[in-house]
Amino acid sequence: MHDFTLHNISKSFGNLEVLHSISALFPEASVTAVLGPSGAGKTTLLNLVSGLLLPDSGSMGDFENATFSYAFQDPRLLPWLDVEENLRFALSSLHDKAQAETRAHEFLKEAGLEEFRHSFPAQLSGGMRQRASLVRAFAFPSDVLLLDEALSAVDIKVRIELLDLFARLWEEERRTTIFVSHDLHDALYIADQIILLSARPATVIDSITIEIPRELRSYDAGQLKDVERRLYREILASS
Amino acid sequence: MKCTKRRHRPPEKLSADVNMGHGFAERVAYGLLGVLVACAVWQLASTKIGVSLVLPGPSEVAHAFFTLMWKSTFWKAVCGTFERVLMAFVISLVLGFCTGMIAGLNTPFRDMIAPFITIIRATPVMALILILMFWFPAGQVPVVSAMLMAYPVVHTSLYQGTIGTDKNLLEMARIFKVPKHTVFFRLRLPAVRGHLASAAKNCLGLCWKVIVAGEVLSQPRFALGTGLQSARLSLDTAGVFAWAITSIALCGISEFLLGLVAKKLQEEEAINA
Repeated sequence: MHDFTLHNISKSFGNLEVLHSISALFPEASVTAVLGPSGAGKTTLLNLVSGLLLPDSGSMGDFENATFSYAFQDPRLLPWLDVEENLRFALSSLHDKAQAETRAHEFLKEAGLEEFRHSFPAQLSGGMRQRASLVRAFAFPSDVLLLDEALSAVDIKVRIELLDLFARLWEEERRTTIFVSHDLHDALYIADQIILLSARPATVIDSITIEIPRELRSYDAGQLKDVERRLYREILASS
Repeated sequence: MKCTKRRHRPPEKLSADVNMGHGFAERVAYGLLGVLVACAVWQLASTKIGVSLVLPGPSEVAHAFFTLMWKSTFWKAVCGTFERVLMAFVISLVLGFCTGMIAGLNTPFRDMIAPFITIIRATPVMALILILMFWFPAGQVPVVSAMLMAYPVVHTSLYQGTIGTDKNLLEMARIFKVPKHTVFFRLRLPAVRGHLASAAKNCLGLCWKVIVAGEVLSQPRFALGTGLQSARLSLDTAGVFAWAITSIALCGISEFLLGLVAKKLQEEEAINA
């Protein structure tokens, strides 16, 4: 395991330039939140990192050889499989089937989804579906974990539960994580580093390291206010 | 403690939409009422015309039908036609399923097969039957013609289902490096089952129609179409009606049975969506 870097990544769709010369360092086993306005190209950045898209120019560094797990904005669960089968589907590339079974079972238990493991996605609430999607991402043993606004479509109570679940699962198996969001509070709650993107075409405005230990943070922690003020100033200055 | 897997059934929340506000008994009662009204109109028209050679009444047709039912040739004809329908149905379903899915996954194959599908679609069924009569024995002409007519329906439906498979789910499978065979059996196949069900229903109805038409022209030894043609040649209009009603009833029964399976699949798909 090691740090991951992006060098001068640019991406356009036709004449529309979405990302312009993005360079960033993602430290090993840390959570990096990528913040930016809607339509800034945050999802495009994740799709480039994961290899779903290719950059027009620049180097993806070690991301090219990494394995990924992904929690999407919409849960993307197979509607005809129950929760446990959805997890096993994502883990089906693992050669050790016993390990896959064990991981699926352990992560479901850890996430409090054990009693819903034979429920179909249509039988679950939006928050539970998102929880299952998050657990699936953690259960897949990857080098890099990607979260694309995975907590944005739920209410504040469920969002805090999901953030706590994320923190708990992440502490158990730390891995390099890129967390895309447009919500400053989510980022401050769980990130070790925040990369702030400008509006389209996105460039990196600033990269801020949060020194406050995660266990001291809460959704309204006073220690985060200084970072929050600084980020607000940056966002206002850039706009 | 031993943990046994208990599968939750998807909720039965579509029943109101499916029944359109009527219970099963009510639907049957209204259906029977419709049949009775049609029979009354038929009887009136028959009485008005007054020539049973042109339009026999329901009672004459019922008599002809019950007379036919006591003959062994009738049941042999029913079995012969049913066997042909089943053969054409299974072949066109399997072939259309395979080529439809391959065409949805492989663009060169789709382009290669497209002219063939277009030609079959545009060919009039009677022209096809007449051409096939030069090449195939009488018993096989209806099967081949029904197969050729029903196959493009299944092919197109499965092609549409395959290209319409949720791209987000496929992307998710790609990220998690799910093996191709797992993607096929756990994602692609379930995603097209609704299309397969509706294609099967359309295919069966088409097979019955084309098989009987093919039998009328090719005259196999035991067939509903042969019975129809024989009755027509002997100016037995009531007999023609009886043979026609037999084929309609058999088609209806088989479509109803298949419809039960199709409905179940489509309901599950709608619930899951």
